[in-house]
Amino acid sequence: MKSKIREAMYIGLFDALPLLRDPMLLVVISLFSFLPVIFIFVFADQASAVQSLIGAIVLTFSFTGLFASQSVFFNKQWFRFQDMFVASKVSPASYALGLSLSGLVVALPGVVVALVLLVLSGTSSATGVVLLLGTSILLWIGLVFVGFAIGATTKNARRANSIPQVLSIALGFLPPVYYPLSRLPAIAQPIAMLIPTTHAAQLAKYYFGLISIPASEVAIGWAYLIGFAALMGFIASRRAHWVDP
Amino acid sequence: MEVVRVEGLGKTYPGGTKALEGVSFSIDRGEIFCLLGRNGAGKTTLLRILATQLKPTVGRASVLGHDVLTDPRAIRPHIAVVPQEARPQMLLSPYDHIFYMCLIRGRSRADAKERTRKVMDDLGLWEHRDKLAADLSGGLRQRLIIAMAMVADPEVLFLDEPTIGLDPLGRRSVWAMLRGLTKKGATILLTTHYLDEAEVLADHLLIVDKGRTAFLGTVDEAKGDTGVGMRVIMEPAAGNGSAAPEVLEPKSSEEILAIVERGLREKRKVTFKPASLEDAFIKIVGGSIEVENT
Repeated sequence: MKSKIREAMYIGLFDALPLLRDPMLLVVISLFSFLPVIFIFVFADQASAVQSLIGAIVLTFSFTGLFASQSVFFNKQWFRFQDMFVASKVSPASYALGLSLSGLVVALPGVVVALVLLVLSGTSSATGVVLLLGTSILLWIGLVFVGFAIGATTKNARRANSIPQVLSIALGFLPPVYYPLSRLPAIAQPIAMLIPTTHAAQLAKYYFGLISIPASEVAIGWAYLIGFAALMGFIASRRAHWVDP
Repeated sequence: MEVVRVEGLGKTYPGGTKALEGVSFSIDRGEIFCLLGRNGAGKTTLLRILATQLKPTVGRASVLGHDVLTDPRAIRPHIAVVPQEARPQMLLSPYDHIFYMCLIRGRSRADAKERTRKVMDDLGLWEHRDKLAADLSGGLRQRLIIAMAMVADPEVLFLDEPTIGLDPLGRRSVWAMLRGLTKKGATILLTTHYLDEAEVLADHLLIVDKGRTAFLGTVDEAKGDTGVGMRVIMEPAAGNGSAAPEVLEPKSSEEILAIVERGLREKRKVTFKPASLEDAFIKIVGGSIEVENT
């Protein structure tokens, strides 16, 4: 078990190394999800800024999950490192875990800065932070599976870059993650609730006491995220292959 | 001792493309075994099956006594692969690639540092250790990919067109390195389009054509079986410069003498050349080329 975790750690570090070797790029990428927060802070009140900060943390996790698709694609089809790892004692679980974690390594500085800001804003509690991270990580797991399914299915380097970016707009910037669900017209709100990032953001905002939702909606939110992760896990297991069929 | 055994191996891809059919051979420890064939002949498919990266559909294959389909995990720690068209990560240095590959393959940090230095020295990469891969020449990049496989010190090494893009000196350094590995007991299976490479390196070779065995044996047997022990090129007679030279393949000393007499009589320049593996290869797969062209 220890050796598998070690393998995963080094695979993750190797995958993240190009960014870790370039601190300027690392700062830009890790803060990418937080840029809208600056505008909301400037143009709206502090409560909206805090909401958007929570949304940015949720999205940082979801983007790193989604962008696992690029790691999967490039390691398999471009660098062909996956073939080198298959022909070694590296296990498929270590490989998958390593590629999943590599995005988190890159995103971690931004998340830490955001959590510090939340603490400084005086709106956070320890429980709130733990539950925020819990919902974000559950969403991240589901989107890592999405990333693996996309990366394993894509055969074209151009698509490997564009698909996660388009999805990140659809899952991140359009739904009510940075902004409250109530800002959407009533007709659009049920549609927004079909999107997993909305559920994660709603739960996180609820645990920070920024919005009030009934207990049934909290239960539905968790059930949705668990179900989403399970479904995407099933799809990824059918699409992503360690040994080609 | 037999390291690789293949019996009636076949592969049909999920889309229905038949890539391999009824291929059988074995490789002994310390051998260099070359797979030759035209593009799409099935070389990479065969190599990937033996390297446990692809599942066969028919037949059996074992590496180091373990079945590739039922027991691949027993094989993997003892092999390494240089995949076709593998590329280094352009924003990392050669040192990063090799050092991390050592760590991923389970070496301690101290051992990884030592092994990285050794492999980089062996492949002439140490002086380039801190450059970005993007700044390396194509040949150095290819050497880097080979070095990533070499860190494993594998018992069986699979190389899919490993010297593509290398200059003549780079190719020779890879050949020397491969020979050095076999002296230590490693077994090597490589695919190549460079027939001079196969001629220099191969203890045995398999020529596959359209997924089937077209020839299996040694280089000398390939030349002998196809009757191309020697080639004679007879230039056109003076004043007939536009005609193509005649290429003849004498099979006996009497035929050689007859060609010499004819050259003297017709005042034509005659050049004798030892047959190459390329001649044999063309003869072996040439039939299918001619059929395709008609």
